[in-house]
Amino acid sequence: MKAIPTLKISISGVRGVVGDSLTPEMVARFAQAFGTYVGGGRVVIGRDPRTSGEMVRQAVVAGLVSSGCRVSDLGVCPTPTVQLLVRQLGARGGIAITASHNPPEWNALKFVGGDGLFLGPARGRELLDIYHQGQYAKVPGSTQRSPERIEDAVERHVRAVVEGIGPLPKGGKGLVVAVDPGGGAACVAASRLVEAIGAKAVAIHTTADGRFPRPAEPIPENLGALGDAVRKNGADVGFAQDMDGDRLAVVDAQGQPIGEELTLVLAAEQVLAHTPGPVVANLATTDAVEAMASRYGAEVTRTRIGEAHVAEGMRRSGAVIGGEGNGGVLYPRVNFARDSLVGMALILHRLSETGRSVAELAAPYDGFRVVKLQRHCPVDRARVLIERAREAWADRSPDLRDGVKVRTSEGWYIVRPSNTEPIVRVIAEASTESAARALAERAEAEVETLLGLSSA
Amino acid sequence: MEPLKIGITGVRGVVGQTLTPDLVVRFAEAFGAYLDGGRVLVCRDPRPSGPMVQAAVTAGLMSVGCEVVDLGVCPTPSLQLAVPWLGASGGVSITGGHNPPEWNALKFVRGDGLYLSAVQGEELLDVFHQGAVERAGWDRLATAVAHEDAVSHHLEVLTAAFETEAIGARRLRVAVDCGNGSCAVLVPRWLTALGCEVLPINDDPSLPFPRLPEPSIATASQARAVVRAGKADLGLVLDADGERMSLVDETAQPLSEELTLPLAVEAALSRNVGPVVTNVSTTGLVERVAAAHGARVVRTPVGQAYVSQAIVEHHAVVGGEGNGGVAVPTVHATHDSAATIGLLLGHMASRKRALSQLVAALPTLAVRKIAIPVPPSLLYSALAEFREAVSALEGVTADHTDGVKLSWPDGWVHVRASNTQSLVRIIAEAEDASRAQELLDWARERLKA
Repeated sequence: MKAIPTLKISISGVRGVVGDSLTPEMVARFAQAFGTYVGGGRVVIGRDPRTSGEMVRQAVVAGLVSSGCRVSDLGVCPTPTVQLLVRQLGARGGIAITASHNPPEWNALKFVGGDGLFLGPARGRELLDIYHQGQYAKVPGSTQRSPERIEDAVERHVRAVVEGIGPLPKGGKGLVVAVDPGGGAACVAASRLVEAIGAKAVAIHTTADGRFPRPAEPIPENLGALGDAVRKNGADVGFAQDMDGDRLAVVDAQGQPIGEELTLVLAAEQVLAHTPGPVVANLATTDAVEAMASRYGAEVTRTRIGEAHVAEGMRRSGAVIGGEGNGGVLYPRVNFARDSLVGMALILHRLSETGRSVAELAAPYDGFRVVKLQRHCPVDRARVLIERAREAWADRSPDLRDGVKVRTSEGWYIVRPSNTEPIVRVIAEASTESAARALAERAEAEVETLLGLSSA
Repeated sequence: MEPLKIGITGVRGVVGQTLTPDLVVRFAEAFGAYLDGGRVLVCRDPRPSGPMVQAAVTAGLMSVGCEVVDLGVCPTPSLQLAVPWLGASGGVSITGGHNPPEWNALKFVRGDGLYLSAVQGEELLDVFHQGAVERAGWDRLATAVAHEDAVSHHLEVLTAAFETEAIGARRLRVAVDCGNGSCAVLVPRWLTALGCEVLPINDDPSLPFPRLPEPSIATASQARAVVRAGKADLGLVLDADGERMSLVDETAQPLSEELTLPLAVEAALSRNVGPVVTNVSTTGLVERVAAAHGARVVRTPVGQAYVSQAIVEHHAVVGGEGNGGVAVPTVHATHDSAATIGLLLGHMASRKRALSQLVAALPTLAVRKIAIPVPPSLLYSALAEFREAVSALEGVTADHTDGVKLSWPDGWVHVRASNTQSLVRIIAEAEDASRAQELLDWARERLKA
C-alpha cells in the first residue's frame, strides 16, 4: 500500500489512504481552509461508516471550529443528506467525510457550497488556493462554538423525499423491495425510505461498521447476495448503494442486475412521463438516455464527468432530471445532489404506476451495453496518455471535453483518468455485450501502446 | 502575539494565535506514538476553546492507533487517578490551568497517573520534532470514542482516604469559588460528602471565567464576600483544573497561596512524620514547619513533574509548591486540591481549631513576588546576564537547580524563567516585608531586560 502515491487533491475534494497520505493534520488544515473560505457560520458535516470516519471527523471539527464555524454534525448519513441539510438549515457549506466507492482504507472530504452543490471547478480552485497559501482564519477561544449534533437528519431526508415525490398510490402498496446498502451510510436510510413511501423492505448488509461486506461499488459482479435476497423473498425489485449512498443500482425480480447505467434511465423516465423537460448526463453515460428522452421529446445535454459538472449543466439548462452512468441520479425538485433515496422513490413509483416489472421496464434498452475497464496509471502518466491519445486519434473526430471520447460505427468509447484514484478508465458502449467488450479491449490495447511509447 | 511554549510540561499557547489544530494534532500523534498506542484518557477544563482542542487531540491520538476515552470536563487530578483505574497507557489533560482564558495547553500523563518526568518530556519532544510517527492503518483504527465518569471514581478514592465522619461531625460551613472551572463538577460534591455545608460560587462550567483562574489574594474577593456574608468557617479559591488552591479564613482574611503548602505540611506531619518535597522557589516556612516535627525537606526544580518524581523517590508524606498546589501521597503523588481539602479539613476537625488559629501558629516570613514579561528571544539571555552579574558576590549561597536562587542569612531571592509563559519570575523572602522588598528590588535592578 505504501509505495503507490495515494493522495488526490482535486476539485472534487481531498482523498487519500488513512495511515499513509490522509493524515489528521492535513484534514484539520483542509477543514480550516474550508471554514476560512465560507467565512465562518454554520457548516454541516456527516460521514460514511468507514473505520477511519470518527478520526477524520474529529480533525474536521477541530479545523472548522478553529476557523470560527458552528458545526452541525449529522453523524453517519448518506452524502446527499449532508447536501440536503445544508440547504434546509441555511448553512454556509458542508463537508461529507466519505471516499464513496473507494476501498475501506481510503477516506476523503467532499466540500459542499451553501447551495447544497459540490464546489465544482471554479469554487474548488478558490478553496485549494486558500489551502495552499496556508493563511487560515483563526478565531480566539472565547468566540469558538461547540459542535451541535443533529439527531434527526436521516428522518428529515426521508421525509423530504416522500413529500417531494409522494407516497406510493394504492396499487404500489404491495411492492416488496430488497435493499443492500453494502454496510454503508445508506444502512440508516434505505429501509426507512422504502417503508415511509409505502412498500415493504427486506434488507441485507446492514451492519455499518466500516468492514465492507461486499466491494463498495454497486456494479453487477458485487450484487450476488442482493440477487439471492430478491429471489428468496420474492421481491419485486432490489436496490444497492455505494458506501455513501449517492449511487444506486437496480436488480430485477429474477435477481439479475440491470446494470447501473439504467438507473438514471428508469428514474428519468418516471420524471419525463409527468414533467417533460431537459435532461443532463455526463459524456460517459449510456446512449439509452437519448433513446428514452426522445420518446418524451426531451433534450439531453452532455457534460464532463463528476457530480459538480452534471449539477452545473443542469442548472444552466434548467434540467428536470440528470445524472451519471455510475448510478447517480439528481432530481432538483427534492435534492440537487446524486441521491439514491430519490432514485429509489422514482423507480418504485415507475413500477407502481406502470404495473410492469423491472425487467419489462429495462427491456427497451437491451440494445445498449456498456463495458467498463480500468488500469492503474499514476497521475503524471495519465496526463501524458491523454495528450498522446488526442494527437493519435485526431482523425476520429474525438470529443475532447473530458479525456477522449470517440464514436465508431458500433458505438463509442472514452478514455479518461479517474478524478478520484490513480487509474485510467476505458468505457465503451455497443449494441451487444461482446461488441462493447471488443471495443473497450481494442481501445485499452491502444492505451497500452500509447503508454509504452518512449517520451522522446 | 502571545508566544507558543513547548516544554517538558507540555505545549501551551493562545488559541486563535499559535495553538492551531494542526499543531495540536501533531503533538497528540507524537504522544500516542510515544505511548505506543493503547487506551488514552482525554479531559478538558471548560474554557471555550476546549472542544476544538479536544477534537484535534482525539484525531491525532486515534490516527496512531490509540483508543480514546473521553472524560469530558473534569479536573486534571481526576484524569490522573482514572489512568491506572482504567488501565490506560496515558492521558491528556486539555487545560490552561492557572493561565488566562484565552490560553490553552496539553498536559501529558503517563500510565501511573503522574506527569511525564523531565526525561520523558524530552523524549516526547524528540518524537514531536522528528515528526515521523507510525500511523495506524484502517483496520487498526478505533471506530468510536468511549466515555467514562472519572469524577465519581475520584470521589470514591477520596472518601476512602479521609475520615469523613470526623470531619462531618464539625459541620463546617465552606465557601468555595470554583471560578467556573472544572472543580465545579468535583469539589462541591466532595465537600457535601465530607458533611460540610457548602456555599458555592461560580460553580457553572458553562459560564465564562469570572476572574483570573490563578488562586491568590487578588482573586479571592468573591470568596471573602461569601465567607463574611455566609459566616463560613473558611473559603476556598480554586484554579481551572483542580491543582492549585488558596484559602480565606473565617474572618474573611485572604491567605497568600504560599500558605496552602505550609498548612498542609503541618496537617500531614501532625499525623505521620516523613519527608516533605517542594521546589526551590517555595517559602522557607516549609523547612521551619518540618523542623518542628523533625522532618526533612527535599527541594526540586520548579514544576509538578519534579515534585511528583521526588515524592515517589523519597516516600514523602506531603509535597507541593508555592503556587497553592499540594500533593497528598495517600491519594496520589500529584497536585490535587480536593485531596488537599480532605487533609486540611481533617486537621481542622482533629485540632478543633479555626483556620486563623492554624495560620497564627505558623512562623511568619514575608514573601514578595513579581513577574516580568520578557520577549521569548531575550528570556534566556536576560537570565544569563543576571547569572553573570551576581557570580562574584560574597557571603551568598547560590543555587542553580532552576534559574538562580541567592540566599543570605536573613533571606533569599530566586530569579527564574516561567515554564508556562514568557516571563521572568522573581520571588524574595525574608523575616520582614521591607527586607523581602529590598531583595526583590535588588534582583530586579540587576535583571537587564
